[in-house]
Amino acid sequence: MSLSAAEQVTPAPPSGGRKGGSRAVKARSQRQIGRWERVGFQGPSLLVLVLIVLFPLIYSVSLSLQSYSLVLPGRTGQWVGLENFQRILHDSDFFHAVGVTVIFVVCAVTLETILGTVVGVMLDRLARFRRAITSLLLLPMITTPLIVGLMFNFAFNAQFGYLTWVMARIGLDPNGGVLNQGPTALAALILVDVWEWFPFIALMVIAGLRALPTSPFEAASIDGASTFQTYRYIMLPMLKPVLVVAVLFRATEAIREFDKVYILTGGGPGSATTVNDLYQYRISFLNWDLSYGAALGLVTFAFVLTLCGVLYRVLTRNEAQL
Amino acid sequence: MSQPRTRAWSVAAGAVTLSVLLASCSSSGSTASGGAASGASAGGSAAAAGWSQECTGKSLSVIAEATANSQIIEKLLPDFKDKTGIDVTIEQAPYDSLVQKAVLDFTGNKGTYDVLSIPYEYLGSFAEKGYLAPIDDMVSTPPTGVGTDFSTADIIPGMWKLSSNWKDHWYGMPSNSAVMMMFFRKDLMENPDEQAAFKAKYGYDLAPAKTWAQYKDIAEFFTRPAGATLAGQTLSEPFYGVTLAGKRHVATVLEWMNYAWGQGGDLFSKDGQPALNSPENITALDYEKALTPFAPPGYTSATWDDTTAALQQGTAAESITWGDTAGAMEDTEASKVVGKMGYTSIPTLAEGTAPQAHLGSWTWSVNKASQNQNCGRLFMAWALSQPVQKELATGGGLPSLTSTFNDPELISSLPYWKQELVSLNESRPRPRIPQWSGISDLVSLELSRVLSGQASAKDALDEGQAKFQELMQGALPVTYQ
Repeated sequence: MSLSAAEQVTPAPPSGGRKGGSRAVKARSQRQIGRWERVGFQGPSLLVLVLIVLFPLIYSVSLSLQSYSLVLPGRTGQWVGLENFQRILHDSDFFHAVGVTVIFVVCAVTLETILGTVVGVMLDRLARFRRAITSLLLLPMITTPLIVGLMFNFAFNAQFGYLTWVMARIGLDPNGGVLNQGPTALAALILVDVWEWFPFIALMVIAGLRALPTSPFEAASIDGASTFQTYRYIMLPMLKPVLVVAVLFRATEAIREFDKVYILTGGGPGSATTVNDLYQYRISFLNWDLSYGAALGLVTFAFVLTLCGVLYRVLTRNEAQL
Repeated sequence: MSQPRTRAWSVAAGAVTLSVLLASCSSSGSTASGGAASGASAGGSAAAAGWSQECTGKSLSVIAEATANSQIIEKLLPDFKDKTGIDVTIEQAPYDSLVQKAVLDFTGNKGTYDVLSIPYEYLGSFAEKGYLAPIDDMVSTPPTGVGTDFSTADIIPGMWKLSSNWKDHWYGMPSNSAVMMMFFRKDLMENPDEQAAFKAKYGYDLAPAKTWAQYKDIAEFFTRPAGATLAGQTLSEPFYGVTLAGKRHVATVLEWMNYAWGQGGDLFSKDGQPALNSPENITALDYEKALTPFAPPGYTSATWDDTTAALQQGTAAESITWGDTAGAMEDTEASKVVGKMGYTSIPTLAEGTAPQAHLGSWTWSVNKASQNQNCGRLFMAWALSQPVQKELATGGGLPSLTSTFNDPELISSLPYWKQELVSLNESRPRPRIPQWSGISDLVSLELSRVLSGQASAKDALDEGQAKFQELMQGALPVTYQ
């Protein structure tokens, strides 16, 4: 469509009354075609966005203002205003789940960032086997989270798990299995997440380092900077945009952690590892309280949106300070 | 309820049962040969068996929990096609997933599944929401168009009522019913050295526990570290007294309800008010907590799957567990305790009082949105017919017919068979009210907290009671469950 429009317009002669009128018509027609082009190209994607983002969002808002349960006979979608949101204010289980999620996200993402950056820099310096090791690093990442959960479920089995055996041998007796006590269960989940996702940060770091210009490093070398100084004052600040994106990705992913927790602990023991997504799953799909589930989902959405904004600002502020 | 499931033994057993069934079909005069039943041959066999041909050529979509029963039924589907000409696709799913698929199908009014096997705790909810097609006429008058090997009079009345009747309407027929009982290591109880040592320590004879106090004594007695002696053998691995399901999961709630009933407790008071923190329930939870030193490590992440595996592997002496896992204990390919396990009733508070066993029941039900309701009824009737039910029994599943439980051949060949019927007669149901899923979720949280040492029984059940009351708001008192 655009090609044919260009072909029609390009050969037009530069002057002439009647021909000038013809040019104006052609220009108008080009504008019209351009408009249709835009609609034609953007329309489908906008439609898809409306269907998969806007509609569910509006539906969630509407649901959160109703009382709708799939199993309770009396609750068929009566309008209750902000009742579900008021209920959140008194829901200690929700705040507990948010607390667990915050601990999980902060610990997991911090550890992943540190470990990923170190491994990424080391790999970048590696002359041989870099490609092979980088490919191997991909393995945990491309494993389905559900499978990761099942793998570690076996590994952490209190009686027969090989990690339980290893921990007992090195004096870290898990006493009934790491998954059976609140603090150790949460720590285990964080470590599993680190195992799965630090390669992501490492890969981002490798890609970032490859794209850096060499001249600042050469200049630092000539000026007699130590390796640490080069990393601290040259590499890290230049790598910062990449790290910011990587951390943002990981943080938003970790906030909606579900699979591994569901498989490994089911949120227990008690509610020690009940992260926010698992709590909402329980409300919506075990208790079938869809309206309250929708309200919780919207609050989480707002929370994540705010957090992303704050995180982005914090991480991109005062670049020179890094 | 839902049992552990997907096991290699049941697949193998299914293969055997299929061949047995096909043999029995041909011996009953069927003219059909192989699985390629043409309309004519199907009609021929149907005429002999009395099955209606009104649905010939149609297909049914069925969903059931992934259990031994469902696997056996799936293997037998060629027989159903042979008799009725109906093609059936059966989907098997774990408990949570099945309930979710069922609810989504019901609420979408799509009728994707024509027949669903649903857990009876959802019966009240699904019936009152109008998701299920009642089958009152099939119950009030003997149904026509079904085979002579099916009779509604043969279905165990109590089990049928609990699984399928809600407020005087019938919504299906039992598909998979199981009852909790006590499993114990017969070989250890009968060992003279162990008997002598037990008597010396506790002052009474070692025998399968009849009271909760004895149950705990036996648990304590048999808990031994690696290197100790058990029935004359040196243990290479630790041995435990009991199994416990303690994960934040419905399995934990169902097991605890046996302890609670045993102490005289219950979820609701007699006048229908929430009574989670009653003194009896607190005592029962304290009692369960006191059993934890005698359970294999990892009990706080264990469900019925793990307890069954522990028993099968011969690592525990006794257990309050589901009767439909007895087949797994006697499975020569997967179990280390074949012939060593004994089966008896749930203990009581005082000797001589009536045991109370937790009943779990599922019901085949026809989707109200289904376009093939009559065909779905035929499927239910076939699944409850005598030959199919006997195949369930021999394949390690559990039937729902009186005649199958009284079958002399089964009684003599299956060591747990007589006890299954005894326990069924002692059984009582969990609340079948629409709020059950919420109740189960909140109780499992509190039990998990106590068993993992995060809270005392009183504190946890007090907190649970407050949530329970909030959950039941507007639906009290509960006069029908």
